[in-house]
Amino acid sequence: MSVLQEIVAGLGVPNFKVLVPEIIILITAFLVFAIELLTRARFAITVVTAVGLFLAAIPTLTMEQGDITFYGLYIVDSFSLTFKFFLILSTFFVVIVLRPYLEAKNTYYGEYYYLILFSLLGMMMMVSAPNLITFYMGIELASISIYILAGMFKKDYLSKEGAFKYLILGGTGTAVISYGIALVYGRTGSFDFATIANTINSDNLDVGAVAGIVILIIGLALKASSVPFHFWTPDSYQGAPTPITAFMAVAAKISVFAVILRVMVEAFPFAYEVWNTGWALLAAASMIFGNFVALRQENVKRMLAYSSIAHSGYILAAMAAPTGAAFTALIFYSLVYIFMGLGGFIFLSAMERQHGWNNNINDFRGLAKRSPVLALFMLIFMFSMLGIPPTVGFFGKLGVFIALINSDIWWLAVVLVVMSIVSAGYYLRVVIYMYMHEPKSKAKVELSVGEAFTLAFMAVFILILGIYPTVFWDISQILSSLLIAGVGR
Amino acid sequence: MTVEFVNATFPVITVSIIIPLLFAGVLFFLPERHAKPLSIIASVIVFVISTYMLFAYDYSSYAIQFYEKYSWIPYLGVSYEVGVDALSLTMVWLTALCFVVAFVWSTNIQKRIKEYFIAFLVLEAACIGVFVSWDLVWFYIFWEAMLIPMFLIIGIWGYAERIYAATKFFIYTFFGSLFLLIGVVGMYIYQFMERGVLSTSYFDLMNLGLPFKLEVIFFLLLALGFAIKVPMWPFHTWLPAAHVQAPTAGSVILAAVLLKMGTYGFVRFSLPWFPEASKYFVPVMFALGVIAIIYTAMMALAQTHIKRLIAYSSVSHMGFVTIGTFALNMEGMNGAIITMISHGFTSAALFLAAGYIYERVHSYEIKDLGGLARFMPVFATLFMISAMASAGLPGLSGFVGEFLSLLGTFKVSIITAVLAGVSLIVGAGYTLWLYHKAMFKESELSESKIERWEKLRDMNTAELLSFLPLVILMFVIGLYPAWWIRLIETTSAAILSKFIGG
Repeated sequence: MSVLQEIVAGLGVPNFKVLVPEIIILITAFLVFAIELLTRARFAITVVTAVGLFLAAIPTLTMEQGDITFYGLYIVDSFSLTFKFFLILSTFFVVIVLRPYLEAKNTYYGEYYYLILFSLLGMMMMVSAPNLITFYMGIELASISIYILAGMFKKDYLSKEGAFKYLILGGTGTAVISYGIALVYGRTGSFDFATIANTINSDNLDVGAVAGIVILIIGLALKASSVPFHFWTPDSYQGAPTPITAFMAVAAKISVFAVILRVMVEAFPFAYEVWNTGWALLAAASMIFGNFVALRQENVKRMLAYSSIAHSGYILAAMAAPTGAAFTALIFYSLVYIFMGLGGFIFLSAMERQHGWNNNINDFRGLAKRSPVLALFMLIFMFSMLGIPPTVGFFGKLGVFIALINSDIWWLAVVLVVMSIVSAGYYLRVVIYMYMHEPKSKAKVELSVGEAFTLAFMAVFILILGIYPTVFWDISQILSSLLIAGVGR
Repeated sequence: MTVEFVNATFPVITVSIIIPLLFAGVLFFLPERHAKPLSIIASVIVFVISTYMLFAYDYSSYAIQFYEKYSWIPYLGVSYEVGVDALSLTMVWLTALCFVVAFVWSTNIQKRIKEYFIAFLVLEAACIGVFVSWDLVWFYIFWEAMLIPMFLIIGIWGYAERIYAATKFFIYTFFGSLFLLIGVVGMYIYQFMERGVLSTSYFDLMNLGLPFKLEVIFFLLLALGFAIKVPMWPFHTWLPAAHVQAPTAGSVILAAVLLKMGTYGFVRFSLPWFPEASKYFVPVMFALGVIAIIYTAMMALAQTHIKRLIAYSSVSHMGFVTIGTFALNMEGMNGAIITMISHGFTSAALFLAAGYIYERVHSYEIKDLGGLARFMPVFATLFMISAMASAGLPGLSGFVGEFLSLLGTFKVSIITAVLAGVSLIVGAGYTLWLYHKAMFKESELSESKIERWEKLRDMNTAELLSFLPLVILMFVIGLYPAWWIRLIETTSAAILSKFIGG
């Protein structure tokens, strides 16, 4: 047996082949590391990373579902595969816009690329976790890589501050999560989601189990930057290099939502009275706080950071209703947030390369005259985040609405509505500045191919999905029914 | 009530929604000089289609005609479902006409021409979509999609305070719409629990047999959305601001089409879906309607700005639609629908007149005018007719609708009818006062004014072409209302079938 065959055979690990996407990402990361070390060929690094991501994305689409590997520590089902695909996709878009941005800012480091890949690997582990151990390892790998990524602007005070805050609070989150895991383990004697679900049910919820769940929720809420555990978000989002902010706001967030859904549904399906109230309160707090503070921001990047807190609220609101419709809504909103979030942040990243652009709201003055197409894209992103049809953001909110009203949680639906109206205040401001003010400079906006492609792709996709959301609804529904079927409810 | 459907042999409705969008898309890539002719062509095509529908519509019995339905999001029970009954049809036709008028008038626009026409084309598609959708999700999509272009139109091509007005307009209507959405979602869930079928179709949400308490809740949620759009007092404060700041064509569409969406919503949804709650709220609606009629007529009297005056008069006229609708009888309903159409013509014409005056004199302040009639006789005549129609002079369109509304109301509540009727005098008052001060009142004429105004041109071709059809139609309805009443009668009966046992 050759070495290659031995690797393929997985050294005795059953179903090793389902790990192909992860292995490709890992190999790509090492490859990029080697290239960076030996040649420093910037173009080659980008290309290798992009190709690696592309190759890793293919098996996530073709693979069959439902395999467990590493002796029950790693599950590859449709749920994880779909999320892996979208995580790889969003990473791909970040990678193709990264180099022009870094070069414009004079802080190019090859480390960016393999750190992003390692972080992606962590996220892929997170969404594939049927077990608190795998989940913990994934969340750590993803977080630690991002702490470094957020602080890569070594000369910039804001970047250092943001990364430091993120490190401290993220570390706290990890500690809290491990404490929650310890409590759950102490109560059930197992890390395995299925075993936990079988041990804890609504009849035997005691202090230990409730405390474990609540502490775990707090830790996860911190990772999802939900109010009141959001303090790291605005600073680290603002300080980080903008494509990295996009990566944090989209990929990291989405994987956290996926893992929240998985942990809550698979490990604690019979304890939902505890967690749905918890999530409802966190969601309401996030919506209210995120939106009102975003309203006061002059810096658009910071505004988008706060608005992402609000979006966490909208998405987590679905967790308040433990029904299939709610889980579908959560998955759907998470998936469509990828497009809006990437669109918004990558727009800023592309604009930051332009002369004299500081992300201040005043920089948006008259953009529609300088570049009508770009302004139109941003208009689409803003209206989608606001939730106006025919953009897909509307369907995201509609799904959450339906779920909330279906479960008679009217108060949260009303909070969601009122907060959406508040959010109109700041999203419209961007549109107003772009379209209704005179431009300060007449300079043409110049984009790299990657940036133009990404922005156009996101804007067009938002519109297509807004007009024909069926495919995404179907995906979301299948995934949520899969989760529910997994616990036999 | 069982509803019959007459399937479309050719998807005329879909075509009339797609054509403006298509032209907007094409325009985006063409040079600016193509914008004006292409937009006019698009709107004329849509107008021809809707006129064809108006004449091909079979009004002998109630049926949803030119009906199309395709599955769209099966998982949520959403379909693409369009069709028209007489109410929808007249609204679509009014929309198509007003857009032709708006486009022809807009040939005077000089600033960012391409974007302007694209915004209007998108707006046209959305407006038509609102009136023809029978699926609630599509209805909501069009209802909201319309906000984006209108927001831009007011905000970019408006006057000095435009951004404030645009934002106010957007946030007000968005606020109402979201509560409307909650109401619709609630109905949808209730429907699912009752019948076990997911559907957002209008017809499936009818005859739900809601408990009275729920009916009241849903009625209020939907009514909030509609009332803001109408706008009913006390939700009307966005309207004068938006009208004053909007460019002329924007005001025309706002008054002639957008306001109708609110009253359309009441007629289409509130009455057939919540018959008990509608009956229960009749006194409230009458009160709000009468307050709107009297209060805003008084407000109109106090205005010195032409557009603001017309805006307040719009709110007042919409009050007649409200009371006509909630009289819950045939006369009232016919009156409400005809007032909707008539107000479309008159408000469009009056805003055109205001825009015309501004083009010439560069002021909307009534005190800056006076004695204009001597210098522009053609315009003065057309403006006069529009003003008279708006004031409700018999023989013109305004009279028919308001008379029928009052007649219907009279049968239900004499006090309401009397109060509303008396305020007609105030209405006549401010209209005549406006016309007198602006067009006659030669005592205001100073030497310098005469010198400047002697050079003023009377109407140019575009202005005449956009103004004249409206005036002709005011006569058409005013002199021969029977045809229109016959057209909408079966529809009114169908809508009211829960109240008068049709």
